[in-house]
Amino acid sequence: MSAAVKTISREAPLLPEKVRNTRALWVVLIIMALLAGCALLFARGAMRLSGDWQTQLSDTMSVQIMLENTSEWETQTQAARSELLGVLVGADVDVISQSEARNMLKPWLGNTALPDDLPIPALLEITGSDLSANFVQTTLDAAGFTATIDDNSRYADQLQTTARKLVLIGVGILILILSAGLAVNVFATRAAMTAQKEIIRVLVQVGATDKFISRLFIRQAAMRGAVGAFFGIGLAALTWLILSLFGDWGGLGWTGFGAGLIDLVWLIILGFIFAIICSSAAGITALKQLSFERKRL
Amino acid sequence: MSSQSTLLPDLVNFERVGLRYGRGPEVLTDATLDLPQGSFTFLTGPSGAGKSTLLKLCYLSLLPSRGLIRMFGKDTALLSNPERQAIKRRIGIVLQDFHLIEHLSVYENVALPLRVSGQTRAIYNDDVVELLQWVGLGHRMQALPPTLSGGEKQRAAIARAVIAKPDLLIADEPTGNVDPIIGRRLLRLFSEMNRMGATVLIATHDTHLIDEIDARVLRIEDGHVFKGKPT
Repeated sequence: MSAAVKTISREAPLLPEKVRNTRALWVVLIIMALLAGCALLFARGAMRLSGDWQTQLSDTMSVQIMLENTSEWETQTQAARSELLGVLVGADVDVISQSEARNMLKPWLGNTALPDDLPIPALLEITGSDLSANFVQTTLDAAGFTATIDDNSRYADQLQTTARKLVLIGVGILILILSAGLAVNVFATRAAMTAQKEIIRVLVQVGATDKFISRLFIRQAAMRGAVGAFFGIGLAALTWLILSLFGDWGGLGWTGFGAGLIDLVWLIILGFIFAIICSSAAGITALKQLSFERKRL
Repeated sequence: MSSQSTLLPDLVNFERVGLRYGRGPEVLTDATLDLPQGSFTFLTGPSGAGKSTLLKLCYLSLLPSRGLIRMFGKDTALLSNPERQAIKRRIGIVLQDFHLIEHLSVYENVALPLRVSGQTRAIYNDDVVELLQWVGLGHRMQALPPTLSGGEKQRAAIARAVIAKPDLLIADEPTGNVDPIIGRRLLRLFSEMNRMGATVLIATHDTHLIDEIDARVLRIEDGHVFKGKPT
């Protein structure tokens, strides 16, 4: 007897571990977790891109000095530069040379040789943080310059809107995939409950509560979700790693290991959310189904 | 036994209970009966007379179409689900088709009611092993139900029904698949459970079994319940 008792050491799971067709379900969940991971990385990339664009644009400013006499081009631009360098701490002020300025006109005037007497705008480019267009304008006005300031705000707003839309698309896709994951688990739990109705009947007969029975399905779905998340999110992380290592993906917000570590943390959180969604869907479905079956009595 | 029934309250009480499946005819009509606490009752009658239906009402697997059923002093129509399940945990059931879980060993199947009620293996292990040996399944503890004979399945189902020392023990043809020696042994187990205080209700065709014990007899014919052995 003691030998028999010894060999029975672990409580067997009340629901069978090996059930037909679970492999197909796992493949579906892995693909969903992979897609969810990619959508998350896309949203994170778009977010980062939006921030980068915003920073780049807000850190630069163009100043055009209106000249009454083009022969004063050199002296006026240098004087304006000195004036600005004196007040803008930590900022760089570069004079755009006449040849560079001429090149900038080419998109509008074409590649034909520009006449020598064409009035070339006197341009300065300011680079630095916390730049204020009003402050630059006031400084130049006070110094007697007639100047117009372009702080890129017009482009910044358009780019910001575009980037925000990209983030929304990414988050939208992520929500859709997670919703589909929820629906898949509802369906899978219903199917499992139908397949295991004999076991449920016995459990009900020996006095198991709905909570007890639904916990069995929650555990099963949590395991399913965790496996799906582990492999799916793992594949998403691998995709991210490959993209980071090969090719220049900076334009898409893939900026390598620095930002990637935070992405990985987000992926792990997504994995947990995925498993929680799977188990919650199973729990709610099991409770609803048991209650429905009881009402049919 | 009759003196017992006058002293102790009824564990199960049916008052003019009727049951029909869907829109079909009534399979049980105006059934009025009581199972006093600590009583031993046989339910007999021809096949299709409604024995299994009456048992299903007793173990709360069905609700009546009309009439009143009281179990453990409570109106079953008013029970919440947790209350219903709590009452089910006080009932041991042996059914004709055994209802063993196929992927669980005999040991796990028998331990099921204790596991469901929240007991740990450390607490129930000795009881389960002892009972399995008593019903002659000591050597088959780790066998899976599909590998058992009909008689072994029957004994496993009976062990599962009695392991939690239920207040009410319900059995549907419990000796139908076993040889006479094992049958008598199982009947002794039911008597022992009854002696320890359990109320026992056994549905059977077997008149020899009814003659073995001096017990109350209810017979069911065409959905009507009568007291006493068939004439």
